[in-house]
Amino acid sequence: MTSLPTIAKDTDGPSARVSRRGTPGGAAGQDGLRSALPLMLPALAIYAVFTLAPIALTLWLSFTDSRGLNTSASFVGLDNYARAGFDPIVWQSLGHTFLWLLYHLALAVGMGLGLALAIGRLKKTHVFFRTAFFLPHLVSLAVVGVIWANIYDPFYGLLNTALEHVGLGRWTQGWLSDPLLVLFSVNVASSWQGFGLYMLLFIAGLQNIDHSLYEAADIDGATAFQKLIYVTLPGLSEVMTFVVSLALINGLKGFATVFVMTDGGPFYQSELITTYIYRLAFSAQDHGLAAVLCILLSALAITITIVFNRWRARLSR
Amino acid sequence: MQRRTLMATALAALAAAGAVTAAQAQTLVMWGPEQITEPLVAELWNGIKADFEAANPGVTVEFMPPTGNISDGAVQAAIQSNAGPDVMLTNSGVARVSTVVNAALVAPLTAAYAERGWDQQIYPWLYEELKSQRGGEIYEVPDGLDALGIWYHKDMFAENQWQIPGTYADFLTLMGQMKEKGINPIAIGPRTAGSAGHLFGNILQASSGTPVVGEALDGKLDWTDPSIALGAVRLRELVDAGYIDKEMAALDLDGAARLWFNKRAAMFVAGPWFTANARNAGYDLTNAGFAAMPSDIGAAMPTGGVGWSWMIPANSKQPELAMKWIDFILSQDVMKRRAENPASTMLYPRAIKDYNPPTQILAEIFSTASGGVGYNPSVYLPAGVVDTYFQVIQGLISAQITGEEGMAQIQAKMAEAQ
Repeated sequence: MTSLPTIAKDTDGPSARVSRRGTPGGAAGQDGLRSALPLMLPALAIYAVFTLAPIALTLWLSFTDSRGLNTSASFVGLDNYARAGFDPIVWQSLGHTFLWLLYHLALAVGMGLGLALAIGRLKKTHVFFRTAFFLPHLVSLAVVGVIWANIYDPFYGLLNTALEHVGLGRWTQGWLSDPLLVLFSVNVASSWQGFGLYMLLFIAGLQNIDHSLYEAADIDGATAFQKLIYVTLPGLSEVMTFVVSLALINGLKGFATVFVMTDGGPFYQSELITTYIYRLAFSAQDHGLAAVLCILLSALAITITIVFNRWRARLSR
Repeated sequence: MQRRTLMATALAALAAAGAVTAAQAQTLVMWGPEQITEPLVAELWNGIKADFEAANPGVTVEFMPPTGNISDGAVQAAIQSNAGPDVMLTNSGVARVSTVVNAALVAPLTAAYAERGWDQQIYPWLYEELKSQRGGEIYEVPDGLDALGIWYHKDMFAENQWQIPGTYADFLTLMGQMKEKGINPIAIGPRTAGSAGHLFGNILQASSGTPVVGEALDGKLDWTDPSIALGAVRLRELVDAGYIDKEMAALDLDGAARLWFNKRAAMFVAGPWFTANARNAGYDLTNAGFAAMPSDIGAAMPTGGVGWSWMIPANSKQPELAMKWIDFILSQDVMKRRAENPASTMLYPRAIKDYNPPTQILAEIFSTASGGVGYNPSVYLPAGVVDTYFQVIQGLISAQITGEEGMAQIQAKMAEAQ
């Protein structure tokens, strides 16, 4: 009794009607699919050429010793996967990628949420502040990298010069040369560019929270902090899931600011999986190992997103 | 009937003429040179382009401003896009050229050397060196040679009665005096891979001498051997002594050059190409002096090698025209015109008769390099080792590793490459 097509043949009940009219297995469904197929073909073709084919090519490359254009790549089995496993830079860049992800969540999402809460309910000046805080998001990451590399310049940079001028000279740092600081410093630049979008999403979420909840909280004598914890944050739950998912994917894609500001240095201290992939694929022409790391990165993105969303779903139940 | 025949004949003739014109119209897409956006350089190259087009009716040369070089993958990406150049001028050297040769991205030119007489148009030693690299197959035509040494400010040195000394021990003393004056002795921008290599190559040359560096590059000498590892140890010592500020690990070539142009640094290791940077920065080139880094082993000499080469991508749509372009570039008129132009920034691949360097600093560099140049490992190391080499230099300058540790990493990569 679990198979709808069987029921459809034997009964005239609701299931049968659904099957005939709405399921792919029904005649009407098959007709619908047949007539929809030509309409879907252009989109399917684009998807196949620009998404499925590159994925297949990457998978194939990961089993070859391809070194570039026109070379006959030989099948090398799992050699590239073994090389990835024994390459200390892979593990180092993987660790940096996770750290980068955490920084991005804390800085970009944190700043986005903080500013949304600060300006979300402003009445007269909200347009100005929203525009002002969103503007960095319109700047290309490469340009952001150049700007911030100059801000961090140890000899002429705005940051160290400003610190010296206000009497905080002992706080000046080699922001991009200190192995412990470099990843964080670059992430600040990247998060500065990224937080505007998250802020707008949070503001949209804030506007959807029923104002009567705040009125009820006021009547109950709730403090601002209690309203934040018991009304605002639960009200932002859905938006938070979306923003964090987006931030996780964006964080894993981190590349441009690192590439422009440090190129993974000094001595691999800001090397991410993405920058290492670029170095392997386009400088060393080691396409096989680069393809393995692409697959690793994709698997990471998919796993982290699925795990996070399941965790959120369980939490909301 | 007769009129119709006449008309048809006329139309056919017109169509034929059109077809011939279309067949003759050809475009040669050229990658380079790097400073094409600089007015002086653009003026020179636009003149060369116009002369080539005039000598080859129907041909248009289209410049494709470079987005990078082989080290950063830009050349490879451009070729692999299949919408790249037909001929290119880019930073070369054994390692870089090997990267694109191993990836089959550039065409072999050995036959063209013999057929077009290119072998007679470069220094014989240079031709022999090219032939010795890949089993006799040549993939590049050298355009310019590099000579890397110390640039200094003549006025600053005169004011402080400093001069580049004859021994490394005295060189350390000089750097100590500079530091006491509150001036950074040496500026370096290791974020630009080449810049890191320029300084380190000079220190290796000064510490170990040309034969030892050559043996290490050939894989005949272990990089952990004290005779070659000394250079790395010395670089770390310069950092520990504060003669090289470890915060410079964050600088790129432009950032380090800015320190030197503004006289916050006394010395900078660079080649003749640095004249272009100086000109852009408004630096008075008559104040620039050039010297080789003092050495305790043999005569002090700059490092260098082939700096820039012409190559023809494997997927060039105009390979024959590209070779014609190289013929033109190698001609006496064009080479002399380029060498004497104020935009000139390099040593040329053959002796040029009646040549007058356009600036005093270039004359000094040619004079310093007249006794020969040592190895710049950045361009001689195998492709799979170069990246580690640059990272090790960053590690030394940011004081993350010792000289011995750094050389052990380079040796491990050398062993892999071999």
